[in-house]
Amino acid sequence: MTASNESTGSSDQWAPPAGSETVPQRPINKLLIANRGEIAVRIARTAHRLGMGTVGVYSEPDANALHVDSVDVAVALGGETAAESYLRGDAIIAAAKATGADAIHPGYGFLAENAAFAQAVEDAGVIWVGPTPEQITLLGDKVAAKRAAVEAGVPTTPIWEVGDDGAVPDGVPMPALVKAAAGGGGRGMRIVTEPELLAESILSASREAKAAFGDGAVFIEPYIERGRHIEVQIMGDQHGNVIHLGERECSIQRRNQKVIEESPSSGISEVTRAAVSEGALALARAVRYVGAGTVEFLVGESDDGQVINFLEVNTRLQVEHPVTEEVTGFDLVEMQLRVASGEPLAVSQDDVTITGHAIEVRVVAENPATNWMPSTGEITAFDVSNDVRTDTGIRAGAVISPNYDSLLAKVIAYAPTRRDAARLLARALRTSQVKGVDTNIDMLVATLGERDFLAAKTPTAYLGEHPEVLTPAGPVGDDRVALLLAAVFAKERRTRGDDKHHGFAPSGFRTLRIQGQRQTWTDGATDHQVEYVVDSRSAASVLIGAWPRPTEDGTLTTDERRRIVVRLLARTNQREVIEVDGVRHAIDVAIDDEAVRTRSAAGSVVFTQLPRFVEHELDDAGGGPVCPLPGTVIAVHVEVGQTVGEGDVLMVVEAMKMEHKITASAAATVGQVRFAVGDRVDQGDLLVALEAIE
Amino acid sequence: MAIGSVIKSRLDIKSDDYRANLAEMQKLWDGVAAEMANVPGIGGQRYVDRHRKRGKMLVRERIENLIDPNTPFLELSPLAAWGTEDPIGVGIASGIGTIEGVECLITGTDMTVRGGSANPTTWKKSQRFTEIAKENRLPVINLNESAGADLPRQADLFIQGGASFRDLTRLSQMGIPTITMAFGPNTAGGAYTPGTSDYTVFVKDRATAYLGGPPLVEMAIGEVVDEESLGGADMHSRTSGLSDFLAQDEMDALRITRQIVKHLQWKKLGPGPTESPDEPIYDPAELLGCASADVRIPFDIREVYARLLDGSRFEEFKPLYGDKLVCGWASIHGFPVGVLGNNGILFSEEAKKGAQFIQLCNKTNTPLVFLHNITGFMVGSKAEQGGIIRNGAKLINAVSNSTVPHFNLMVGASYGAGNYGMAGKAYNPRFIFTWPNHRIAVMGPKQLAGVMDIVARNSAAGRGVDVDEEALQAQTAALEAQIEHESTALYSTGRLWDDGIIHPADSRTVLGMALSAAHSNEVVGATSYGVWRH
Repeated sequence: MTASNESTGSSDQWAPPAGSETVPQRPINKLLIANRGEIAVRIARTAHRLGMGTVGVYSEPDANALHVDSVDVAVALGGETAAESYLRGDAIIAAAKATGADAIHPGYGFLAENAAFAQAVEDAGVIWVGPTPEQITLLGDKVAAKRAAVEAGVPTTPIWEVGDDGAVPDGVPMPALVKAAAGGGGRGMRIVTEPELLAESILSASREAKAAFGDGAVFIEPYIERGRHIEVQIMGDQHGNVIHLGERECSIQRRNQKVIEESPSSGISEVTRAAVSEGALALARAVRYVGAGTVEFLVGESDDGQVINFLEVNTRLQVEHPVTEEVTGFDLVEMQLRVASGEPLAVSQDDVTITGHAIEVRVVAENPATNWMPSTGEITAFDVSNDVRTDTGIRAGAVISPNYDSLLAKVIAYAPTRRDAARLLARALRTSQVKGVDTNIDMLVATLGERDFLAAKTPTAYLGEHPEVLTPAGPVGDDRVALLLAAVFAKERRTRGDDKHHGFAPSGFRTLRIQGQRQTWTDGATDHQVEYVVDSRSAASVLIGAWPRPTEDGTLTTDERRRIVVRLLARTNQREVIEVDGVRHAIDVAIDDEAVRTRSAAGSVVFTQLPRFVEHELDDAGGGPVCPLPGTVIAVHVEVGQTVGEGDVLMVVEAMKMEHKITASAAATVGQVRFAVGDRVDQGDLLVALEAIE
Repeated sequence: MAIGSVIKSRLDIKSDDYRANLAEMQKLWDGVAAEMANVPGIGGQRYVDRHRKRGKMLVRERIENLIDPNTPFLELSPLAAWGTEDPIGVGIASGIGTIEGVECLITGTDMTVRGGSANPTTWKKSQRFTEIAKENRLPVINLNESAGADLPRQADLFIQGGASFRDLTRLSQMGIPTITMAFGPNTAGGAYTPGTSDYTVFVKDRATAYLGGPPLVEMAIGEVVDEESLGGADMHSRTSGLSDFLAQDEMDALRITRQIVKHLQWKKLGPGPTESPDEPIYDPAELLGCASADVRIPFDIREVYARLLDGSRFEEFKPLYGDKLVCGWASIHGFPVGVLGNNGILFSEEAKKGAQFIQLCNKTNTPLVFLHNITGFMVGSKAEQGGIIRNGAKLINAVSNSTVPHFNLMVGASYGAGNYGMAGKAYNPRFIFTWPNHRIAVMGPKQLAGVMDIVARNSAAGRGVDVDEEALQAQTAALEAQIEHESTALYSTGRLWDDGIIHPADSRTVLGMALSAAHSNEVVGATSYGVWRH
């Protein structure tokens, strides 16, 4: 078909394609996917649906990864790190030639935006699934891209370029943002609030950019506080047709990396929506963009409505493309493959409609509570609800190593409304199981139910302004009690299994019972004292709350604990089905030393059993220094009640004609001075009783 | 292949008879349970409060914190001294528990009971524990604090008390570790308990040990000295060397003891369980109603087997011969056992069958479980002419010289020589556990009173006087009541004729723990016996 490519409301100065016949048709029968993980799996899925053969590549640690099993044949790249494997362009092109692949899809990351590689692929006679090397080069330079955007009439704030001399431009309004022309991910970026700090920020940003990207060029733009990250999906063919597929909002980010993405955005006005869409389309037309791309904007609020700043163009398929697929109904990978083989776009702008709402979350092996510390290790369980779309390259048994990024899965919910989608996604995540590494699932669930999120009040600063979602308290009430008891009884079951002599005996069996098993558990914030008696193999009585303690006169405090009747209905190493006062809870459990991770449909909590015993330092128990040799006390420097520090001289003992200084080994209070000047002291005598200061 | 085949139970647990008996048994158990519930606080609330006021844990609280979480603890003889002038439990809590994966014999003094002072039954009970430790090769853990001997009763104590220190050093000599924690005073003779232990742990500011306290020292040698300098934990840890480890507090002493046990690298010498340990097909909870609450009513011992043995399986020996002694092979929690149980009195056939079965089990190093419900050997001229003494002696010879571990479970009566033939207390079984319906005596109270009645009548006749019917009847009734009282399970356990009364439904667990304890030592059968009288 010949696309008419009428875009909404724009005067079409861009000529329609000269004609399909001028674009060579190069059918793709076999596609090499130069990537790993979820995106490789996802690309293969579409390629197979289109009847193509597929070729994968893999590093040594990935030899049995899901993405390798998802392709027809795969070629070993060797090596462990990205540089040793997925970044080896020559090896990938050689693999394509060797396996007879017609085309290479780079996915995202790795070589996806490497113009030299794109050129080498074309030079080798293999189809490059993506924009032309020239487009990658042009749009990859942030300053050049911004210039092109301004020229094409893309809505944006101005930028101030900084010359090679590092001279500070005039008239920069505050606050401002200094950014590296190359690269991204927050590196080489400085927020400046005072004009006098601008010069210094330019220098340090440039230094950092030089170190990170080998290019110290920086520019300045107005800093939009509490802005939203809005991006427009564009798609162009080789015939000059371009369309946009609506916008995505990806404001919820940690360390400038996206965590939650959605389409459409609920936080921009129709005016802004039209402006960014038209702007993106204008820029795409200006460069005759081919393939999938994303034009990114920052949208801020001002007294005159929303301000828009053009950020950059990503010349590849984005991680978050599924939300666009959900709301448009198009398969973006299919579109990429068709335009790469020379086909014109099968749809015009008018065919693009946005229906419903899609939200994607990135499940990553990171712990949000510990500043998003990456977590590595073997995935022991991986099970995500079937009610939502899950794009993943992970399965149970996969090993998460520091070599690659921490993305475990993208989980995408699609529903008629944003609230519906959020609720569906939250439930799917709550009932998912990922074991073996720390994940951000709890944080995602907390965010999806958080009030500001549900009200679409989501600036990029969202996570900074909502620290509570990073350490969610999890379920409350009996849902929480059930999780605690699941942890307690998972541990109970484990310890019974460890009893090699009396494993047959009922748990905590007593012929004469004075109390149940007493334990203290913590969820990190609150300590819970638990006492239980297992009545038979399936029932237990539990007391929760502070157990009675002796008071001053030796009598015990009143027992005000809650009594709970528990039935243990079904038990495995992974799951405790537990009835708490007549309500059944199915709870996934994973024991990790003293910690037990628990998860039910209500959410998850990690409980840790506190140790029964405290390890004391020998000196604490010792209670003070002892006499090293038989002798006579010749000086006493301390008195009862005095506080002493480490190394303080307490006493001097003369022995064998030598003066021995007796010192404190740690900060302490003097409890007793046991000898006076002139007293004979023997070897081993405790000279001064000290009470350690905790 | 598992041992034996499944027993078919004929017990109708829905029948009125069963239910009535169950209710009676429950009543008997409730009586025992009520006695047990009193034991931890038997010293009196005032003394419990005073103990806690000093920041101390009760002895059983210490044990709770000492053993591995969720593991069982088999307290032994909790009702020792029941029916005597000594306090029930005699101020000691003892039993078998697991510390750092090691089965230990744990014994602790209860300071709230007369200051932890020893009375005559205390020594009896502690000697029984030493015996258990020695025979079963169990490490001994002492939780010690004691004011010393109950001085007014010194005459009943002094000589016996010396044996406990001899026994501690002998355990050590045999390679059985002894660990003593001192939580409070260890005075005079009591000081030798840490003194004769392999390891000692003293609690700072709490434990003391001295042969003579400050008043005695002042009396004897005129030295005025404070308690801490004389025998404090710090002094003994730094100066005298009596204390190996100085604990910061009570919990620290328990922690240190657990560490000591861990480094023992303890290995059991028995083969351990080797059979499939599946639960019986019939519910062990039904054991409560299996045996007759009134021991005069017979019941089928196989109904007990069906609820006691793994998978309810039993391989019966000589089923068609001497059928009043039901012998055979089975397993309990995987431990292979030979089982002997009574379905009536012992005749010559039963005695010969039992003796042979015991010899067979000794050949295969198989421990023996005796289920007592025995009123005695057959009497009468036919039995005597058939050689009942000669044959009964075979059974006595066999149980006396058998060297595999013996376990007694008192499920009914145990009267007269029947008790001996079934390897009763005098034959040193490793453990004896009793059901609440148990009766034990030289014979049944009615028989005994009846015998005495006949003897009195014969005596009167011999002297040619008339019997005072009223007086004799009263005397006979009084005697019967006395014997009835002295035959009960509580009376028996009070005199340490057993190691404790248990709930029948716990029998599998308790026997399993006893078997496991016995397997800490070697399990070796006898190769020689006394002369068999053929």
